[in-house]
Amino acid sequence: MDKKSVCEKKNYEIIFNNYSESMRNYMYYKCGDLQQAEDLVQDAFIKLWNNCEKVIFEKAKSYLFTLANNAFFNEVAHKKVVLNHQKLNLKVSTNETPQFILEEKEFMAKLTRAIDSLPPKQREVFLLSRIDKKKYAEIAEITGISVKAVEKRMSQALVILREKIGNV
Amino acid sequence: MRKESFDETFLARWVAGELTPEETHAFKESKHYLEYKRINEGMDLLEIPSYNHEANLAKLYNTIDTKANTTKVKKLIPYWVYRVAVVLIVALGILFFNRTNDYETNYGEQEIVTLPDNSKVYLNANSILDFNKNNWANNRVLDFNGEAFFDVEKGTKFSVKSEEGLVEVLGTEFNIISREDYFEVKCHEGKVKVSTLNENNTTTTTILTVGDAFRVVENMVEKWKFKEDKPTWLDGESSFKDVPLTQVIKSLENQYNLDVNSSSVDLNKRFTGSFTHNDVKIALQTVFGPMHISYSIDNDNTITLK
Repeated sequence: MDKKSVCEKKNYEIIFNNYSESMRNYMYYKCGDLQQAEDLVQDAFIKLWNNCEKVIFEKAKSYLFTLANNAFFNEVAHKKVVLNHQKLNLKVSTNETPQFILEEKEFMAKLTRAIDSLPPKQREVFLLSRIDKKKYAEIAEITGISVKAVEKRMSQALVILREKIGNV
Repeated sequence: MRKESFDETFLARWVAGELTPEETHAFKESKHYLEYKRINEGMDLLEIPSYNHEANLAKLYNTIDTKANTTKVKKLIPYWVYRVAVVLIVALGILFFNRTNDYETNYGEQEIVTLPDNSKVYLNANSILDFNKNNWANNRVLDFNGEAFFDVEKGTKFSVKSEEGLVEVLGTEFNIISREDYFEVKCHEGKVKVSTLNENNTTTTTILTVGDAFRVVENMVEKWKFKEDKPTWLDGESSFKDVPLTQVIKSLENQYNLDVNSSSVDLNKRFTGSFTHNDVKIALQTVFGPMHISYSIDNDNTITLK
């Protein structure tokens, strides 16, 4: 029987490489503060290290995300999640008219504003799906809700975005 | 005509490419298709600041090593002492200090956890409890998810943190249900302070005394009074008053390890009643009978509602 110990640096690093980025992004979507998100991730991983003997390797992911979800409750501040559209600049070819480019930029500005106005639960699911490209099953694991609930929140997010953008 | 004539997961499935050809065709003909398409394509152009794995890992190790090195005692004891059995002083190092206790119940399971100050936590099925044993008397904080009944000894502030809310007491008995999109607290004795986060990120604080119940369902707060001095689930029966069907179904799933297929049913309907923990067939009948919902029991653990 091969029991991987989380206390072994090699295994601890596997967990870190697999989940720390997702966790940081998830925390960022929740609070809009990159530094705070990174600090929360650090805290969770330190707790994991201190409890490495108690946590089974295969359960590390759920352990970490439970800590993250609970720790977040007390963080009241919410700053704006900054979404960059560097890619927009690269994708624009020289064939497009200045008018078209301006319109695209305006649309993207409306979109990012609309995303920021989404209710927190819908926003985090939506961004995990469309920025991190996570499948709904994985989002369900991360947020601790069912796949069906994830799909519901995702759909709600899209409806709200369409309504917000349509009204401007 | 209804505003959104597609079901509540339709758009999500479209984004994931999971629609049938018929559904896709219907969607493309629908009023807002082009708007959704533009939003979806716009998302492909967005990104967030990148994450530096190496730098963050290094920072982590730095903190861990710093913590390990701040114990004066460790510097005084020569390395060879670690090979000698016993030495309690070593055991007191940081590695032990933050040790947490972790309890988890499975489907259909219940467990009683006795805390270091003799407070008791009765965990219902599919629930998780986590706390730090050391320095417990001065720092009574637990991380929690699921359903549990808390019997708290008088002492310093006792806090239960869960994703849906925070409950603090001084010495009392209360029941918490914290599951996805459903948060309920019932005060059976003493006084309880409940804090929940609102959609606009402000906090609402409520004080409950004996017989007060509080819940948040779909961001709406409900308060009512109840009479039992202990939750019925401790005695093998789950009871509900005006609870959304989603929550009742979840309790059934947790108790009997079922998978309930409920896509064709209105889950927002409220249910008042109870079900036994001892017989799944009777339990299903007592829940779905009064609601006029028929169901079939597929293979061992799957139920489909009609």
